Amino acid sequence: MKKWIATLLAAAMATTSLAGAAVSASADDPIELDVIICQYGPNTSDWFLGDGMGGSSFVEKFEEANPDIKLNLDVVSWNDVYTEVDTRIANDNAPDILNIDVFANYANEGLLLPVKDYCPEELYSDFFPSFIEQSVIDDTVWAVPDLASARALFYNADIFEEVGIEPPTTWAELEDACQAIIDYYDGEIYPWGIDMTTDEGQAAFAYYTWGNGGGFVDEDGEWALNSDENVEAINFALGLIENGYTNPNPATQTRYDLQDMFAAGKLAMVIAPNQLPTYVADKEGAINIATAGIPANEGKTGSSVGVMDRIMAFKDDSAPDQDARNEAIGRFLSFFYDPENYVGWVSMEGFLPAVNSAVESLVAEDPSFEAWLDVLGSCQFYPTAKAEWDQVKQGVIAAEQNALTGASIETELDALQEQIAG
Amino acid sequence: MREKKRWNLMPYVWLLPSIALISVFVVFPIAIVFKLSFSEISKAGVVGEFIGLRNYTEAVNLPAFKTVMANTFWWVISVVGLSTLFGFAIALVLNEKFAGRKIARSILIFPWATSLVIQASVWNYIIKYEYGSLNSVLLNLGIIREAINWRSTYQIEFVWECACGIFVTVPFVAFCVLSGLQSIDRSLYESATVDGAGFLSKLIHITLPLVRPALSVSTVLNIIYVFNSFPIIFTMTKGAPANKTDTMITFLYMLSFYDRKKGPAIALSVIGFLILCLCAGIYMVTVMRKEDAA
Repeated sequence: MKKWIATLLAAAMATTSLAGAAVSASADDPIELDVIICQYGPNTSDWFLGDGMGGSSFVEKFEEANPDIKLNLDVVSWNDVYTEVDTRIANDNAPDILNIDVFANYANEGLLLPVKDYCPEELYSDFFPSFIEQSVIDDTVWAVPDLASARALFYNADIFEEVGIEPPTTWAELEDACQAIIDYYDGEIYPWGIDMTTDEGQAAFAYYTWGNGGGFVDEDGEWALNSDENVEAINFALGLIENGYTNPNPATQTRYDLQDMFAAGKLAMVIAPNQLPTYVADKEGAINIATAGIPANEGKTGSSVGVMDRIMAFKDDSAPDQDARNEAIGRFLSFFYDPENYVGWVSMEGFLPAVNSAVESLVAEDPSFEAWLDVLGSCQFYPTAKAEWDQVKQGVIAAEQNALTGASIETELDALQEQIAG
Repeated sequence: MREKKRWNLMPYVWLLPSIALISVFVVFPIAIVFKLSFSEISKAGVVGEFIGLRNYTEAVNLPAFKTVMANTFWWVISVVGLSTLFGFAIALVLNEKFAGRKIARSILIFPWATSLVIQASVWNYIIKYEYGSLNSVLLNLGIIREAINWRSTYQIEFVWECACGIFVTVPFVAFCVLSGLQSIDRSLYESATVDGAGFLSKLIHITLPLVRPALSVSTVLNIIYVFNSFPIIFTMTKGAPANKTDTMITFLYMLSFYDRKKGPAIALSVIGFLILCLCAGIYMVTVMRKEDAA
């Protein structure tokens, strides 16, 4: 028996080393690209690696069309991607192509290739210019957008009809609507959803400060976290919580908790991304959803919040032929953004496209897309190109959460501004 | 002579694979972390030059540092302390003969055998305000009239996290103590009974001294496990609001991967390691001294 096992083991080892030899012998030919893609939903892996792309996978189709390029593509969950990428960078093993939301740290540390080095001209001109602008540091574009989503106010039309109110456009109307819903349902239904969690508290900061003429930065693009407008805006949001107009635990109830409550008819209004109807449709029960602009302070214009992810390419000084590598990366992008592939990708997860060539087919597929594309044209983005963004993002979340436990938001934001820009 | 020498060598030969594994997977990474803690580390994780103790001073001066250390202290003390107490009591019960004892013992293992993330998520559902099972049970039994917000302040949330920690740690203590209890010779109790000893004096004079080795092991291991426990706090609150429910481990993770202050995060992990070495060291020395004295 033991002999058998020993023989089997030896045979296994021999085959493995043979396989290893085979790989290293033929490794000269194709260019290998390490690609990391983020897991946007349950279909992402299927589309890239399984059979979600019409019975085949993106990798298979790409390698078929480009036999001289081999893709080592990993789909990584959003929870792990930062850890994975950082570890790989620390071990001098950065991916060639990375799909993620942030880029400034990588660009500032000289790890990225400028987009112009690898992106074909035709594809480059296909991106929405307002998106490309979000990835510029020192007049250089460091990443291209892979998709976007836009936020809007979603409300439960049945509740609004029952109570007899209209969707609010100003903060004063919002307070009135909240009070009316509280009165009508005797507090059984939360009128307004607020998420100031560690996951996405920066979005709450954006919703209110942008609706009050404030924001993360001033007109010159400098940090202006403690502006009067911002303090007033966050105090308004805190007031909504204090008055009992919102979900009870904004520091720990994430947007997904809010979306669940909204889908269950327990929450009347929530600011959420354009995919919310798909999310709600997957849940049990049917509510009538309607959308409106995010309410702003009297006399100020509300602004939608755009969220955009990116694709970027890392430098690799060890690559024998840099031009060939750049070209291979370009061919990956061209294949990905080819409307034939890209439209399926964007619509599969319910996102908004980043290239013009995809718009036509998407609108043909789902006419509601058109309205969202308009929203996308007018929305603001987080200042992710600024080097301090990570600290600012965590800083505003901490400021909000401290304010929720009784601290003054003014003092908190003053301290944050001092820490970031002082 | 030759024969004797070979025999002395054998234990080391057998230990060699474990030593090699421990060196590669434990000692070597720890050494790297120590080295990194004195180096500048960029936001993207690129390791720079030697900067002395700067990462440490930065870590200690972080505004949340004191809160986090206090939380870590209470977290370890309450979870280890209370789970030892409850685990001990449960072990005493399970050591008695009663119908269904085997079933009771198997049920006890469940909380410990389930993944901590699942445990913490389940607790989240139990104490949820809107559709939590605790509220709906109490409402249906008519004990409360309207739903209670079980997570109304961060102090209460931290208590829930500790409760969940205790719940998952109790089985481990119970099984350690139970194995100790089973090795106690029944005749000791019988002769004590003959001498007129009651439950309490048997507990103090027979049970406790004899299960002390088992208790020591479970306590030292628990201090290490609980101190390093990440999933419960990360799943239930992520340290919110503003690090007020963070312990050192969740805090340094957030610091490294959310705030991207990797240097201070690594310094903190070294500090945590040293604290653990110190705690475990003090405990082992005192326990061993007592055992020697006994």
